[in-house]
Amino acid sequence: MAEPLVRLTDLKKSYGNFEAVKGIDLEIAAGEFIAIMGPSGCGKTTTLRMLAGLEAPSGGEIFIGGERMNDVPAHERDTPMVWQSLALFPFLSVRENVEFGLKMRGLPKRERRERVAVWLERLGLEGFEKRRVDALSGGQRQRVALARSLVTEPKMLFLDEPLSALDAHLVIRMQGVLSKLQKDLGITFVYVTHSQSEAFAMADRVVIMGHGEIVQTGRPKDIFRAPRNRFVAEFVGRNNIFAGTVAGGVINVDGTQLPLPGAADGPAEIVVAADRMTVSLERPNTAALEAEFVSEEFVGTAIICYFEGPGGEELKAQVTERELELLAPEPGKHFFLSWEPDAPHVMAVTS
Amino acid sequence: MRRTGGAEADGAGRGGVLLYLAIVFAFVFAPIITSMIFSFNSDRFPTVPLGEFTTHWYETAFSRPEVWEAMQNSLIVALTAATLSTALGFATAYTDYRYNFRFKSAYIALALLPPTIPLVIMGLAMLAWLARLGISGTLTGIIIAHTVMAAPFAMAICRLRLSQMDPALEAAAWNLGASQWRAMRSVVVPFCLPAIVSAFCLTAAVSFDEFVVAWFVSGLNKTVPVVILEILQGNVDPQINAIGTFVFLTSMTLVVVAQLLITRRRKA
Repeated sequence: MAEPLVRLTDLKKSYGNFEAVKGIDLEIAAGEFIAIMGPSGCGKTTTLRMLAGLEAPSGGEIFIGGERMNDVPAHERDTPMVWQSLALFPFLSVRENVEFGLKMRGLPKRERRERVAVWLERLGLEGFEKRRVDALSGGQRQRVALARSLVTEPKMLFLDEPLSALDAHLVIRMQGVLSKLQKDLGITFVYVTHSQSEAFAMADRVVIMGHGEIVQTGRPKDIFRAPRNRFVAEFVGRNNIFAGTVAGGVINVDGTQLPLPGAADGPAEIVVAADRMTVSLERPNTAALEAEFVSEEFVGTAIICYFEGPGGEELKAQVTERELELLAPEPGKHFFLSWEPDAPHVMAVTS
Repeated sequence: MRRTGGAEADGAGRGGVLLYLAIVFAFVFAPIITSMIFSFNSDRFPTVPLGEFTTHWYETAFSRPEVWEAMQNSLIVALTAATLSTALGFATAYTDYRYNFRFKSAYIALALLPPTIPLVIMGLAMLAWLARLGISGTLTGIIIAHTVMAAPFAMAICRLRLSQMDPALEAAAWNLGASQWRAMRSVVVPFCLPAIVSAFCLTAAVSFDEFVVAWFVSGLNKTVPVVILEILQGNVDPQINAIGTFVFLTSMTLVVVAQLLITRRRKA
């Protein structure tokens, strides 16, 4: 197998007694769009900062392009980053901002100007050369930050929650810009975010981190359908998690017997995505949970209905508008929730 | 309805505030303005009604060699002390911004201490210390004393500016290939430039005005405030008004420039 572009082995970072990153192993291939996600404080940004050389690892190794990078200072690494705050230089013009990296590399002025012009045009910023960055809109500043990082034509780009400061409609548009850019350039994007929608919309592969460790790595679809444990299932959202005991292919959840073919006997946690749930007024032929309606939430074209299960747990089911009309739910009304036998995914039980 | 009532009440309140401000400013500036007016008055003694307009006192004051010499001394001391204290102040503020270390709060407290020391004590201590070093009575001695006294102001101004700097800004420079030194030159200093110039003006003003410590350590190399006192000790002379006006305008210009640079907001 070819050497991956980035390889982290047993990478650690601690601040005093606090272990921010607890020995992670990760390989990133050239040309991959990888998203590292997790709740705040999970170590994702620290991992990115170690990759960029802004934090020194407490242990483990970082290889980029087969070369050990642990002791290479930040300014000698070709790992430009787009910052959460964008960190544009406020005292420089758009052109001077974009030019910065080229200037540090000692490129002659003419070449700098040419390359800056190419990138400003590429990102739709032509004519803004002499503007001050604080005279630009949020979306334009975002694109200046991108141009500044990409003008040196790096093999990879790090993005640290770059869209968190933008309005919702701009986020969607920038996701499109980023996806297209990554495909066109064919370079590696390492994207750190706590937003599931951003990560799932763009990334080829998602790394879920929690408490300084990598909990699960996989394609967005696989992580959504088959979360490894409760932490991932809860973080990804719109999942129903049931804990129970399996005996002979049947799981007992709070007294309700639900089929779970092929599962090993013993305590188990299963997850069923909200969009695999069926809500009915009458008890269906298959096994079903009786639950009390709590509220509904519109998400785009679908509606998420919230129920309280027999054990008091929150249950979610995605329905269409038409289904909602037929069900006519009211708080306190009882429904039956069921699913196809292949819908549940059995997770590793977390202690 | 309520708005209109509020606006009327605001109008009255505003008038009150303006009047109050006018009184405060009159109280503060009346002596200075009086001194300025008498500097152009032909009468020997400050009495009303005024005599004729004259620039005589300026002519005589500035024809005195000791005044010229003092001006020259003050200028050298102010510029050198301002340069040194701004450099020191910026460096201290940057260590505070950038690094965390044990006893950092003690370090900051110590760095900010000099202005809280009574001037007479400071003057005596400087005199004793500089005499031992053999530089008492030299311009170098005054420069050292003024640098010590002014550096905390420079530090405070630079610290304020650094606190407004996004910590990612410097990291972004490293990330784009700037070494630490290069990032300092091309990002941190340009970002802090208004504060640095402002600190320079303010520390120059502090040094230019400073009398007590200069009086203790100056010896024969007198600065302007020391010469003013010496002339005044001899007799009441309108030349003092002329020199005072000049000193006031110089200091005020420096302070106003400093203020403008600190409070200036970038246009959005």
